[in-house]
Amino acid sequence: MNHSRITTEGFRALATHKLRTFFMMAGTIVGIAALTVIVSMGKGTQREVMKRVNAFGTRLIKINAGGGKGYTKPQANVVTLKMEDAEAIRSTITGWDIVTSVAQKHGIPMKAGSRQCEGDVFAVDPDWHEAMEWPAQVGEGIAAEDMATMAHVCVLGTRLAKALFGDENPVGSDILINNVRYRVKGALSDHPASPGGDDENNRAVIPLTTGLRRTFNQNHLTYIRVRMKNVADVPKTAEQIRQLMHERHHISPPETDDFSIVTAKEVAEAARGISGTLTALLVTLATLGLLVGGVVMMNILLISVGERTKEIGLRRAVGATRRAVLLQFLTESLTVTLIGAILGCALGWGVSILLPRYFKVVTVISWEPFALAVLFAVLVGLVFGVQPARRAARLHPVEALR
Amino acid sequence: MIELENIEKTYVSGSVATPVLKGISFRVGSGEYVAVMGASGTGKSTLMNILGCLDKPTGGQYRLEGADVTALDDDALSRLRNHKVGFVFQQFHLLDRATALRNVMLPLIYAERYPNDAKQQAEKALAAVGLADRMSYKPSQLSGGQQQRVAIARALITNPHLILADEPTGNLDSRSGTEVLAIFKRLHRDGRTILLVTHNEAVAEHANRIVVLRDGKIAEDRAVTRPRDAEAELAALAKEENR
Repeated sequence: MNHSRITTEGFRALATHKLRTFFMMAGTIVGIAALTVIVSMGKGTQREVMKRVNAFGTRLIKINAGGGKGYTKPQANVVTLKMEDAEAIRSTITGWDIVTSVAQKHGIPMKAGSRQCEGDVFAVDPDWHEAMEWPAQVGEGIAAEDMATMAHVCVLGTRLAKALFGDENPVGSDILINNVRYRVKGALSDHPASPGGDDENNRAVIPLTTGLRRTFNQNHLTYIRVRMKNVADVPKTAEQIRQLMHERHHISPPETDDFSIVTAKEVAEAARGISGTLTALLVTLATLGLLVGGVVMMNILLISVGERTKEIGLRRAVGATRRAVLLQFLTESLTVTLIGAILGCALGWGVSILLPRYFKVVTVISWEPFALAVLFAVLVGLVFGVQPARRAARLHPVEALR
Repeated sequence: MIELENIEKTYVSGSVATPVLKGISFRVGSGEYVAVMGASGTGKSTLMNILGCLDKPTGGQYRLEGADVTALDDDALSRLRNHKVGFVFQQFHLLDRATALRNVMLPLIYAERYPNDAKQQAEKALAAVGLADRMSYKPSQLSGGQQQRVAIARALITNPHLILADEPTGNLDSRSGTEVLAIFKRLHRDGRTILLVTHNEAVAEHANRIVVLRDGKIAEDRAVTRPRDAEAELAALAKEENR
């Protein structure tokens, strides 16, 4: 038996029945294209999620004032989160690297000479610079001594510095925050956007004690940041902190919390949004589509076996063995799905490139889904091609010729 | 060449058994030209299928060139059909979408070895049946007689000793039929064994021997003393046309 001649017969049969071949191929093309686009989009989303998680920090546990679930923001009107809570965490919880407390207010009027603007005020403890990995680029950051003396000093973010001082070095000058005079002791480096996409450079950082007692006149915090030594401890420690806070704030679980805890997990879930489940659903649908395409191909092949009964009988009469007939029909189904898969990949690749230009989606194109798609399609071709091919091969030559 | 001993063929459908061949024994020597006759339903097509290794008898023994065919499996029968038997059918059975040349080359695809000069062989075979100028024509572009000649070229491409023709002139006008029979005459002269199945006495008389089937048995087996000569008849026809 000459395999290459018989496979050529298969190709020839496809080439002479172009419309039928196209219909057989259509399902595979669309299925594979959809599958590759969806996977590329899924990977794009995954990359975005990782970006945000990394921006948030994988070792971080953030305790926000105010309740809520998921990726919450601190609530300005909740006054129950205290410095004592941070102290309790430091003393009861183990495995932390840095615990830092922040009280913040937005849209505070600021003035330097004739220039004025609105900015955010962050009252922080000296560990904040290290916790945020955000030291002063020029001058100095907030120090323990500033805390102890409740000094009127501040460190400026790049955007605020630019708004108040233009291109001049602000260090050593004074600014007015809410009409109270502060000495600029340093300037922060430019900070990338937050996980939520906010600009973080429009801020003045002041000592926590000064902020609470003198500027804001309050004794509650906005949030506490706990950085763990090990990533692995984060989920367990988050739970311990939750319990500690329940005890300290006298909350028993059916009651709503007056605080919320955010870790990388919540950030990832928020970033993924519904797209995670959606991707899984779409992948399932596309896979089903591909299978339906396979069934359609199988049916067309079965019909074609019926139509070509005489041809099969003739081939058998002139010496084709059952295997030769089987091989020809398998060649037809495999070729259909293979070419369909390649066309589908090309289509999927094109769409994956074009989609982000017109819609708010991110796609990441990698070779794996395409290789997998082709493999999968060939498998479909084999699985759904075997039945018609076997039917063709089993035809009795005498009956087929009748 | 062909030895049949008490061949039986019974079709079973459910609980009903229909015997079609009821013990057929005869021999065909190498180079013989035999017509198998009989009314429809007498089993001549069934006999032809068994002789052509397309079907197996339910009883008896069939030896082709000394080898017992009844014992062979499907693959071996396929191989036998490929290089020992050439079929010519009433309905031609050409592939509609393939050219005459491709149709003739078809059996070579299933040959043990695909010859390097397959195309040249097919061209030669087509030229031998007078279709040198129709090689790239599709069946739909050919007349019935031409289609049957393509089918004969296809039957000859693997150079088989046995040609089995089932009503080869059945779908043809008399002129085309005579042309086909003239080709058989030539093949017979070249030493090939020809078995011609027909219900038509006039066609059967071209053979040297006539075997008549009746009710699944051989009713008659006689030599034709003066077979008709299709070549001479064709020449006469041509003469008449030229007049």
